[in-house]
Amino acid sequence: MAKTNGNFRDLAADPGPDVPEDARSKVNGIQARSSSVLSGLSRARRGVGLGGRSVPSARPSRRLPSRSITLALLVIPSVVLVAVIYGYPAIYAAFQSLHNGNLVDAGQYVGLQNFQADLHNPAFWQAVQFTIIFCVVGVFGSWIVGLALALLLRQKMHAPGFFKTLLLLPWIVPVVVTATAWRWLVATPTSLVPHIAQDLGLGQLLFLDSPGLAKIIVCVYKVWLSFPFMMLMASAALAGVDESLYEAARVDGASSWQQFRLITMPMIARSTYISWVLMFIFCIGDFQSIYLLTGGGPVQSTNTFVVLAYETVFSNFQTGPGIAIGFLMMLVSVLVAVILYGRIRKVAIS
Amino acid sequence: MTASTTGRLEATTKARASQPRTRATAPRWRYTVLVSVVSVILLIPVFVTVVLAFQPQLQSTSHSAFTLANFSYVFSQTEVLTWLRNSLIVTLATVLVAVIIAAPAGYVLSRSRSKAVSGYALLLFVAQSFPQIVSVVPLFVLFAHFNLDDNLLGLAIVFVSMTISVATWMMAAYFDTIPVALEEAAWIDGCSLFGGFLRIVLRNSLPGVLSTAIFAFLLAWGDFLIAVVFLRSDTNFTLPIGLQTFFSANNTEWGYVMAVSVVVMVPPILVFGVLHRYFSIGGIGGSLAGH
Repeated sequence: MAKTNGNFRDLAADPGPDVPEDARSKVNGIQARSSSVLSGLSRARRGVGLGGRSVPSARPSRRLPSRSITLALLVIPSVVLVAVIYGYPAIYAAFQSLHNGNLVDAGQYVGLQNFQADLHNPAFWQAVQFTIIFCVVGVFGSWIVGLALALLLRQKMHAPGFFKTLLLLPWIVPVVVTATAWRWLVATPTSLVPHIAQDLGLGQLLFLDSPGLAKIIVCVYKVWLSFPFMMLMASAALAGVDESLYEAARVDGASSWQQFRLITMPMIARSTYISWVLMFIFCIGDFQSIYLLTGGGPVQSTNTFVVLAYETVFSNFQTGPGIAIGFLMMLVSVLVAVILYGRIRKVAIS
Repeated sequence: MTASTTGRLEATTKARASQPRTRATAPRWRYTVLVSVVSVILLIPVFVTVVLAFQPQLQSTSHSAFTLANFSYVFSQTEVLTWLRNSLIVTLATVLVAVIIAAPAGYVLSRSRSKAVSGYALLLFVAQSFPQIVSVVPLFVLFAHFNLDDNLLGLAIVFVSMTISVATWMMAAYFDTIPVALEEAAWIDGCSLFGGFLRIVLRNSLPGVLSTAIFAFLLAWGDFLIAVVFLRSDTNFTLPIGLQTFFSANNTEWGYVMAVSVVVMVPPILVFGVLHRYFSIGGIGGSLAGH
């Protein structure tokens, strides 16, 4: 909030001639209330936490005629890039999913045959199922671990900054390295995890050879990869919660659990929702962490949509059905993303 | 004042001084120990990589617990130095171009509220949710027309596009913290919009730029999917592909595999270790919520 306040203060100090009176009084009003607990809560409901955006200040009184042109020129490079790198593949995928071609040749128009082949393939529905499990566990598992660590790091301790950086390692170290390390840890009979399992009397567990266990390992691995991101998002949100709220609650005799449930959670609700949405997008499109850990096996049990699409195109050389899977997946993820995106602004927690 | 009263006074001041200190330090140590234990458990996969890389191979005759033999083997027997060079080239190019494209775009996202900009924000979000698996095949075919397949430049172009959404949000989140009044003052002094962006905003945004650069670095350095589809010849491999290929061929030689792994993970750890205090990604929540 400090950031936004800076802007308010600038405006309030010298609002300029063209700031309408009501805006000015609103600015002063918000500033006057900003110290009160009530306004803190109401700000939270509106989702203005730390890192919230600055209030669009009064436009310069004479509208620069070149303003729009300059703004357009500033975004054009990224628009062109997005159009080529995402727009072209979208059209290509739509076209190829209706043809029986391969990577070099466009092939014949076959209508919806590729889609029919996919929908009648049991592996497809297995992948749908595991994609859902993978996303749900990935999003909420990493959120719980990340939030818990962010809360823990706010306690009084020695060198919290050091630990915060250290705990980002799973996110910083490339997936190809950590997947290798995880394979060693869980799949080598002489290593740590199988040893522990044996000591617990579970016998010799082959973690990556049994479909059920492999699914669990893949999900745990994804949580392990993603909790640092969620920890960063939660830390930023927690830093924006007004300390005076906790003081007021303590005076009223609220327990720490009550403080967490009634102050912390509502205050970071908006930011939490955004981090869920982002993590969902990261999970549904995630190829490398699954492919590098299990390759989708054993017996395709850890195939998600993405891995199945890759396998169908590059291992089974069924380009049409593979691209059809990708195209379906693109439709689903873009549609879900747009719906969730629309809700980011609307979501109101009371 | 008698000696006894002075003594009593000292005693009470001591008691008063020590009481809050013990109250503050005891939980402080407790939490430090707790976080240390949690960190050690969570980071086991990272530690084992390092430990195995410096341990002698099982069949080796050496009895010491520490050796550099794995590293001397992989540096002399594999193309790891070439892969390292390729990874550095492609990652640095990605970082540079990503910042150059994302900074102005982030500025527009931060400062303008027009309908067109809201549409652009949505476009960035859709691009981020676009599965890479869908784009990688068509792009491979497209890039092959321009001889950009099996080519580090082609790889860098795709990497830039992969980073662009988050990079733009990160830049916008940082620009949000810079008061608009600064630019307005510059405009009144006759500065153009672009001049204000370049000389006022960007000049004060080093932490934001570094933060975005770190993100682009991590993403480009760790990519596997694009590189595995695009790169065919092993002299063009980046480190992740090199490691994966080497692992497939030597999947029981853990010492060698982990030595290559250490080479892959040292540069991002170094970059982050040096620049971590500039890194902040939490702001993208606010950046997203604003549009």
